[in-house]
Amino acid sequence: MRRSLSLLFRLLRIQIRSQLQYPTSFILEVIGNTVVMGSFFVVFALTLSRFENIGGWTLGEVAFIWGITEFSFGMMDMVFSGFDYDAFGPMVRKGQFDQLLLRPVNITLQVLGSRFVLRNLGKIMEGLIIFLYGLSQIEAHWTVFKVLYIPILSISQVLFFGSLFIIGATTTFWTMERLEILNIFTYGGSEIMSYPMHIFPRAIRLVFTFLVPAIFLSYFPTVFILGKTDPLNAPEFTAFLAPFVGIAMLLIALRFWRFGVRNYQSTGS
Amino acid sequence: MTAGQLDQSNMIKFNFVHLILSRHQKTLMNAFFATIRISFRRQLTYRAANLSGLATNLMFGFFRASVLIALYQEETSINGLSIQGAITYAGLTQALIGFLSFFHWYEMMHTVYDGQIGSDLLKPLNFFLYWLGVDTGRALGSFLIRSLPLFLVFTCFYDIVLPQSLLQWGAFILSMILAHLISFAWRFMVNLAAFWTPNALGIGRFAFGLSWIFSGFFMPLALFPEWLAEICQVTPFGATVYIPIQVFLGAGSGESLLNYLLIQVFWVVTLVLLDHLILARGVRKLVIQGG
Amino acid sequence: MEPIIQVNQLAKSFKVYRDHKGYFGALINLFDRKYDLIKAVDKISFKIYPGELVGYIGPNGAGKSTTIKMLTGLLVPTAGELTVNGYIPWKERKDYVKDIGAVFGQRTTLWWDLPLTDSFDLLKRIYEIPDETFSKNYNLFREILALDEFMKIPVRGLSLGQRMRADLCAAFLHNPSLVFLDEPTIGLDVVAKQRIREFITYINQEKHTTILLTTHDISDISKLCERVLIIDHGKILFNGKLDALLSEFGGKRILSVDFAEHYPEPLLDGAQIIQRNGNKVIYSFERKTISASKLINQLSSKYRISDLEVRDQPIEDTIRRIYEERLLYNHSYGKENPPS
Repeated sequence: MRRSLSLLFRLLRIQIRSQLQYPTSFILEVIGNTVVMGSFFVVFALTLSRFENIGGWTLGEVAFIWGITEFSFGMMDMVFSGFDYDAFGPMVRKGQFDQLLLRPVNITLQVLGSRFVLRNLGKIMEGLIIFLYGLSQIEAHWTVFKVLYIPILSISQVLFFGSLFIIGATTTFWTMERLEILNIFTYGGSEIMSYPMHIFPRAIRLVFTFLVPAIFLSYFPTVFILGKTDPLNAPEFTAFLAPFVGIAMLLIALRFWRFGVRNYQSTGS
Repeated sequence: MTAGQLDQSNMIKFNFVHLILSRHQKTLMNAFFATIRISFRRQLTYRAANLSGLATNLMFGFFRASVLIALYQEETSINGLSIQGAITYAGLTQALIGFLSFFHWYEMMHTVYDGQIGSDLLKPLNFFLYWLGVDTGRALGSFLIRSLPLFLVFTCFYDIVLPQSLLQWGAFILSMILAHLISFAWRFMVNLAAFWTPNALGIGRFAFGLSWIFSGFFMPLALFPEWLAEICQVTPFGATVYIPIQVFLGAGSGESLLNYLLIQVFWVVTLVLLDHLILARGVRKLVIQGG
Repeated sequence: MEPIIQVNQLAKSFKVYRDHKGYFGALINLFDRKYDLIKAVDKISFKIYPGELVGYIGPNGAGKSTTIKMLTGLLVPTAGELTVNGYIPWKERKDYVKDIGAVFGQRTTLWWDLPLTDSFDLLKRIYEIPDETFSKNYNLFREILALDEFMKIPVRGLSLGQRMRADLCAAFLHNPSLVFLDEPTIGLDVVAKQRIREFITYINQEKHTTILLTTHDISDISKLCERVLIIDHGKILFNGKLDALLSEFGGKRILSVDFAEHYPEPLLDGAQIIQRNGNKVIYSFERKTISASKLINQLSSKYRISDLEVRDQPIEDTIRRIYEERLLYNHSYGKENPPS
């Protein structure tokens, strides 16, 4: 196990090294990323200034939830780059996945180590900046528990998004075509999680509660932390389900992944 | 899609005679329309991808509309934009994504990097017209099976604003055509970076990012502060998204309508000219320096 | 001796879906999928013993790559038994794979962006190759395959021949008992092919590595393999020594004669004229029908000749005949012949 992990880190280090080959262009790209991603929030903030609030939430409060979500998604996108089906799909199609199977190393670790998109630091920084801005604007009653819950929430989100990526990658074993429809849950999920979810129509809320449990990873925890009133009248404990939902999703995803690998029918050339 | 791949497209035969004849005007036009036709047919074969894109765009349309509704709450109109108008705006921006290939288009860049461009340049075709044809076919196909159905479904869920007169519809169609030309010219220019740097993809991502910020894509420009809205309106990006939507919403009439269309024409001309200049430079560099 | 590869009634069938056409085809597909069942590999059996260098040939679509994928554990068989090196490949992948190597002509096993030295270093860690073994093999292969000239270059910058040599080195670095070579000489020039064949022969003789060679290049087979398996339409048509195959189906031999004077009709009993050029006449005859010596006797008794030459029909032609005329279907080959 230790050997596999050290191998994984070695592979990651190689990825990082090759991406840092041209440091100036890399830094420019990251900054560009931060600016472009951040501009969406800026646009929203400017728009919100014309109104009182959104669904009873102030800009600072939205920034809080928006920032954490962006930060976590960026983290996930970086760590789980190997499972991004835009890259994984072609890898299977071209037969490079076969190559991984021919090596005496755990296949999941190999996929994780096959790609590490450092560029995502842009999104991570952007999320952090927005989050810190939100933090500066809000007035919450901070307890130790609440403060500790924030990083836990972020990690849970990373696991949640990561599991969606893994599921998406596994589907490429069976369908040769890109299933853009999964974008609804990954990118759609992260978008919807950036807003207070009670503003969305019931049908959408239900999808993101029971089909893809995004609501437990953003809205309920944030309502608790910020001390907002919840028009949905959900029971109190829903706020604390985040880590369990995150871990459960990841376990389900890994199960599905292992199933996919075991039954992998190598039809690539 | 490259000129070389044209004759390998599934079930599609391409008449190369059109390309091999001399560069007579009429022949050029024949080749151009043939390219559009074939690219259009190819786009139609991407059924699953277009369906998925449609579903995704629709979902995001609902998201944006919900956010706008939550923002407006009791207000009926902000800066001349009603809530129905704002919702229509949200639906239209989603419909435009497929049509304008709004998020990414790196086809031309790839032919530079994989060397295919070498054989493309050997063929006696007008390089710019060729790619315009390819992109126009794609846009038409995407419009037919993605943008149009998407918007129609969207209208089932919300009260939207429609053009009031035949003149408005006509102006809208014209505006869409111009928007497509501007979008293509811009994307083509971004792809031209590949002639100079192996890192054109990174530049491309940033350039696309710029277009998202200034196009009024995310939120209706009417809700922006004045100064920002003014800036966006005069960029080529605003001319691809904001202006067609404004025309659709009937926000411009008479003189302001003319202004909108003129801005679009200005950008078409400017960008196409720039494209030709940069392309000429790029090809010269390629030929002199090799791949 | 126990076989290292044991295949018994192995079969693999694929479902090939027939998609609905039209715009709504994609939707209809979700509810009603029709498919054809293709038998890629149809109950084949054979044994391969340690240290053998066996060729595995067949026309395109015969079932070669499907077999290899099952042997390497990349594909799960539909039926039958398969044991390689004591493992069931697809079941015990990670352990099984430690002791095998593979080279695929169509793509590399190395890392695209890494200099060769880094790739080999990674492989050393992945296969847990002891330092001594690694440096011994590394230095040996470096020399034989002349890798030093491009050691520092990443794989993406190598020519096809260089990449192939690098892949070969990588495959044998960890002293595997068994190596699969899939089209290792494809697209290479004559000199490169020769170098690679020499390397393969050397490894097989020195290290007694079992090698299964899939190729379309018949010269590879004739120069490297004693035993050959022929597969077509998913069935094994032949399993035995190449010599036996050729003597049985080698068919035509060529007799080329330079006559001392002009003969209008230099006919020979048992041979056909296939080409005339002045006084030079080329005959073909069946090995089974008449021997070369009898023909030469005929020639010298009837005519005056200044020079003659007897050649075998190229092996390629023989193999092609077998594919095209389905010769082996008429024989009851399909039983294995263990090497003596």
